[in-house]
Amino acid sequence: MNTHTPETELALLATRDLSWHRQIPVRWHVSNCGRCRELVAAYRLDEVFLRGLTVDLPPRLPWDRLSVEMTANIRVGLAAGECVGPYVHERHGIRVSGWRVATAVFGVGALMSVAWWLNTPAKQTQSLGRAVKAIASRPFAGVFANPFSARALGWDDPNFVVRVTTQGIELHENGTRLGVTQGSERPVAVTLNVKGSARARYVDQDTGQVTITSVYAQ
Amino acid sequence: MRSNIGILVLAALPALAQFGQPQNLAHRIDLPRDSPVSLVGDEWDGSASVVRGGAYAMDVRMALSLRNNSVHRRIRGITLSVLAQEAAPGGKGSISVPSLDVAPGETFSVRGDLHLIRPVSDGLGPLVEVTLDGILFEDLSFYGPDRLHSRRTMLVWELESKRDRQFLKAVLEQKGAEGLKKELQASVERDTNKPQFGVQVVRGRSSNQESSRELPVAFLNVPESPLEPMGGAARISGNEAQAPKLVVHNRSLRAVRYFEIGWVMKDPQGREFLAASMPSEMRLPPRSSSQILEEAALRFDPRTSVDSMTGFISTVEFTDGTFWIPSRAALADPLLRSVVTASPEEQRLMQIFRKRGVNAVMDELKRF
Repeated sequence: MNTHTPETELALLATRDLSWHRQIPVRWHVSNCGRCRELVAAYRLDEVFLRGLTVDLPPRLPWDRLSVEMTANIRVGLAAGECVGPYVHERHGIRVSGWRVATAVFGVGALMSVAWWLNTPAKQTQSLGRAVKAIASRPFAGVFANPFSARALGWDDPNFVVRVTTQGIELHENGTRLGVTQGSERPVAVTLNVKGSARARYVDQDTGQVTITSVYAQ
Repeated sequence: MRSNIGILVLAALPALAQFGQPQNLAHRIDLPRDSPVSLVGDEWDGSASVVRGGAYAMDVRMALSLRNNSVHRRIRGITLSVLAQEAAPGGKGSISVPSLDVAPGETFSVRGDLHLIRPVSDGLGPLVEVTLDGILFEDLSFYGPDRLHSRRTMLVWELESKRDRQFLKAVLEQKGAEGLKKELQASVERDTNKPQFGVQVVRGRSSNQESSRELPVAFLNVPESPLEPMGGAARISGNEAQAPKLVVHNRSLRAVRYFEIGWVMKDPQGREFLAASMPSEMRLPPRSSSQILEEAALRFDPRTSVDSMTGFISTVEFTDGTFWIPSRAALADPLLRSVVTASPEEQRLMQIFRKRGVNAVMDELKRF
């Protein structure tokens, strides 16, 4: 044990204020280091002593006034600190350093790329590519007027699309297609409704039973 | 920090592993306790789900065997709702079987294949719920929650069925088996040669505003129709017909609450086809007129351009719950004859004729 734990962390451990992720290594070190164990014991004794003092505080102590004065003193101290040097907001807990941020960003980026590649249809990717190109090639005024409107993004179909073909019904949304089929049979008729729904009619070759499947876009 | 990244990657692995991999499809069949049909058996072979773009793309392949538990009534049609999600498009479908004749105590099958989507984010996994939307009986009484307006749809199919059966029975009486055979052969030929084009609906305002022109819509006057289209127009832009609008007049003495208009398109080559139907739910008092505007566009194959448009009234529902549909005489109009699809019952009889001949159709016509 050549390196001792900083005393600030030992003090926080003694008062049970040390963050959870630092407790395990500090406790491990303290259990193996006599000097640090003694320091922690000393801090705990000090804490007990100070708690005893507060019990003996004089009666009718003006706590409100003391509180206001202490707050004022703290503000004066902070203002003075800003005068002599840059104020650094130091987060307690995890210290954020450059390589950690880079690792996290890279990890999230890689995860999203793999998810996109596995998950998103090629048509949708192409559609997004066209949209980005459309934004990039448009005059600034046009883009800023409504940069995310369907027209600005270059999508032909701003809404959900229902299509009927001789094969059946297809629903499209941003390049994703849904088909309606009846096994290997082809529909004998498909009908489209301007409200957005569609029907496909199938006739069983053996029994003649008619089955009509419908998909509702609304 | 390193351990935290490791935990994140490990947590994400199962989610990544299911992308593109077919999963089993969970399903639930929910029939009301007092339902006139009960479930005898069900098969879901081939049903699966794949994660795509933040949603489960579900291939629902089901075959249900149902029994008619009613005491006296024969079933003429059934509609089952197949629900993957209620709110967003593509999550709701239905399977209907019209032209049935199921006696009390008999079983019948309902088969269907639907593709639906459900968002992954709802955390419930790939799940579809099959519920009963409606049953139509031979006396035209109806049972079911009717959330998909299946009562209206099945009633129209049943009225078409009665019309076509009566027509074919009359042909049989007047012209005999040979006359019926000729009539069925003509129906098969029309059905085979019916033009079918790729067309899609774009809801809302279309983004294609370039070089559009206003095209007046012609209307086919069906003298017996309670509604008369007075005039209309649509904006044509390339292969798109946008925002159709028209004025209809109720020339009957009964108030109307729902009607449908069929839109027939003609391309520069003279080919005509039924592009879409436009339903309107509105109260139209007797002898009154109203304007209809639909914020939608019909988009055709890029090689197809619209030369002219013709509309015709295909269905009317009155406020007393009765319907009007075109008669066989009205459907004899050359345009309607070439574009309007045969009724489900006529298609069923045509298939029986193809498979088993005219005698089997004669037996079918004698049944009811």
